[in-house]
Amino acid sequence: MSPPRTRLARRAHLELGDYPVDATWAADGRALVLASGEGEILWWAPATAPAPQRLGQHAGGALALAWQGAGAHFASSGQDGQVWLWDARDRSHRLLRQSAQWSEQLAFASHGRLLAVASGRELAIYDASGALRSSLPEHPGVIAALAWRHKSSELVAAFNGGVRWYRFEPAQEARDYPWSGACLTASWSPDGRVLASGLQDGTVHFWYLAADQNSQMKGYGAKVALTSWSANSRYLASAADSMIVVWDFGGRGPEGTRPIQLDAHTARLTQLAYQPGGTHLASGGRDCRLMLWQPAQGSEAVDADLLPDEIALVRWSPDGQQLLVADRSGALTLYGVERA
Amino acid sequence: MSDRIPVTVLTGFLGSGKTTLLNRILSEQHGKRIAVIENEFGEVGVDHELVIGAQEEIFETANGCICCTVRGDLIRVLGQLRKRRERFDYILIETTGLADPGPVAQSFFVDEDLKEDFELDAVVTLVDAAHVLRQLADSPTAADQIAFADVLVLNKTDLVDATTLAGVEQALRGINGTARLVRTERASLPLDQVLDVGAFDLDRALSVNAAFLEAPRPFEWAGLYTLPAGHAKLHTGAHEASHEHGHDHAHEHEHEHEHEHEDAHGHAALAAVSLLVLPVAGSDAEALEATLEAATSAFGDTARPAASGTHLVPGTLYQLQLEHSAHFELVLPKAGVWAVFTEHHPGEFGFHVRGEAAHLERAFGSHHHDAEIGSIGIADPRALEPNKVNDWLSYLLQSRGADILRMKGVLNFRGEARRYVFHGVHMIFEGKLERPWGEQARMNRLVFIGRKLDRHELEAGFESCIA
Repeated sequence: MSPPRTRLARRAHLELGDYPVDATWAADGRALVLASGEGEILWWAPATAPAPQRLGQHAGGALALAWQGAGAHFASSGQDGQVWLWDARDRSHRLLRQSAQWSEQLAFASHGRLLAVASGRELAIYDASGALRSSLPEHPGVIAALAWRHKSSELVAAFNGGVRWYRFEPAQEARDYPWSGACLTASWSPDGRVLASGLQDGTVHFWYLAADQNSQMKGYGAKVALTSWSANSRYLASAADSMIVVWDFGGRGPEGTRPIQLDAHTARLTQLAYQPGGTHLASGGRDCRLMLWQPAQGSEAVDADLLPDEIALVRWSPDGQQLLVADRSGALTLYGVERA
Repeated sequence: MSDRIPVTVLTGFLGSGKTTLLNRILSEQHGKRIAVIENEFGEVGVDHELVIGAQEEIFETANGCICCTVRGDLIRVLGQLRKRRERFDYILIETTGLADPGPVAQSFFVDEDLKEDFELDAVVTLVDAAHVLRQLADSPTAADQIAFADVLVLNKTDLVDATTLAGVEQALRGINGTARLVRTERASLPLDQVLDVGAFDLDRALSVNAAFLEAPRPFEWAGLYTLPAGHAKLHTGAHEASHEHGHDHAHEHEHEHEHEHEDAHGHAALAAVSLLVLPVAGSDAEALEATLEAATSAFGDTARPAASGTHLVPGTLYQLQLEHSAHFELVLPKAGVWAVFTEHHPGEFGFHVRGEAAHLERAFGSHHHDAEIGSIGIADPRALEPNKVNDWLSYLLQSRGADILRMKGVLNFRGEARRYVFHGVHMIFEGKLERPWGEQARMNRLVFIGRKLDRHELEAGFESCIA
């Protein structure tokens, strides 16, 4: 008798009518904030109000969203050079930052007390009240990715030339981990042991910060633009072009072992996300395919769906039981994770 | 068929008129909605809804391969613009005069995202006619920008005299023998010269300057003069009635500090130039043609240095030492028609015969004087063996890819009704069979633009491909 299979069940649908730039779940998993190509910031609570509520608009387009851990705030940024801090309770917002550079990276620490904003080469840290805690200009390169270490005040900024590690509490510290390559992503294993980064040159780099060791994984045919850790910190999923490569950190670790390859996509991947609290991996690509995997169990897809257009966003709810998927045309589908 | 967004890269030194051209492109009614990506230090002044600043960021690979070097900032910004695809239909990237155009162009062939979503239309380089010779002497980047161009916009042509202009064009041709050359004043030109050029489109015909494909000569220019017996005065350097120090009033904000150490007339790029005078049997083109072999042979002699004031005689190769203003006495044994051959175009060093104008002039393929960067063309009708071409070009790209900035060609494959067309940027190569030759004479035409190119090596390689 085979174990019960997981499948994705469509539960709600929304036509945004515009490119979905970003989406973030509210901490309770009951609502979503959406950001559109034209800069609209929308509130969508599919179970209670099928039509989204328009909250505001960044002139010139939106860039990023971030929810405040278990808190009630979220941040948005746009091509107007602004970062807004929102209060989800009354859905009001105020201007947090205005800069000449786009603020493409927003990240709240998981404890919610600190918000990191990267604008070009500059990093700014705000507290939950919106007060500027630190301004850290002059990174060696434009910050391509930010990652907070889980349940800590440690942050990593990735750029062309390596990563820079920061600790902001109790006192501010910084340390450089140089590497001659353009780091595109930053993903910290949930247990905080390994920092992974995908690079423009088609490699993945692992830093074991406590041990002060690092290793480089080659063999990708294209830039590695996506990385995501499994909830148990055992697997790192990465994607280059249409290929998903999953490194196993169990046993002797990934170095020198053959990774798991998942190759059902026929065009470049745009999204890759491990399920919070679970073992599933969701992927989406320009082939309009949404795939659900369980890499530890095998390289066959667990479930799949075909969307009308290229997949633009894949966002798990905080409890890992709902999945928001948006395609390029702005069609949003909300799936529930069910046992078949 | 393709819904890729076309991109024009606009480059050129400070003061070349980029901002003026950019403003013209954006204000003109052409029905296009254009997004502009400006370098961080752009002298903005561009009043337009969709202007995005980008900090130049070079992504190199660990192995140091320059062909894999891309512009991280462009990948990022264009990735964001793609999300607003329906808002615009053309992208213009303005780079500084200091930027290496290689990584900009390569990004569109190397990076998976850009390759799929965007289409490099052309690299357009603006050149300031009054200052480019000085810039070429001072900065290797100037030559790179000219070498990479698909379109060379020679701007401010009203600020130089005709001789200087011809010299400038000759110098540009020496570096880049295949770019379309457009003359303009105040960056005023039809926009179809810079937008939708299709320079990387293999379906459009390769255009190569015809003179450029001729056998190379050691001189760039020859002029015929009818002179009496006795002394004729030759002058180089500064001469009267030149206007190039006048200011451009087209509201250029960019070039204030460009003037500071400007030599009198921008001829300072050359320190010495070879010159030869030979008698000619007649005063027409055939007569000149008949002396070319003798002149070519004489240019193989060791040139005799000649400082200002030296007396020169026909039949001897001299190396004129150029000063701010130098003069030489040409001593002629008899009256008649004399051909003057010069290593570089007279416009490049302000050469003229006092009181006389050449009644016939001819420019030859240019060999840029720093010899560091230049173009080599091959034209040959013989059919080629595709496999051999593949072997040769593969070898060439692997061994010389770093030095070859651009290459383009149309090839005549044996037994193939269609033309094979290709282009390359460093080691990146794209080629395919295109439309049939039809009535057109089958002819291989190849152009290589790069550093330290060896004509003999390229010709030998080509020769190895003959079917």
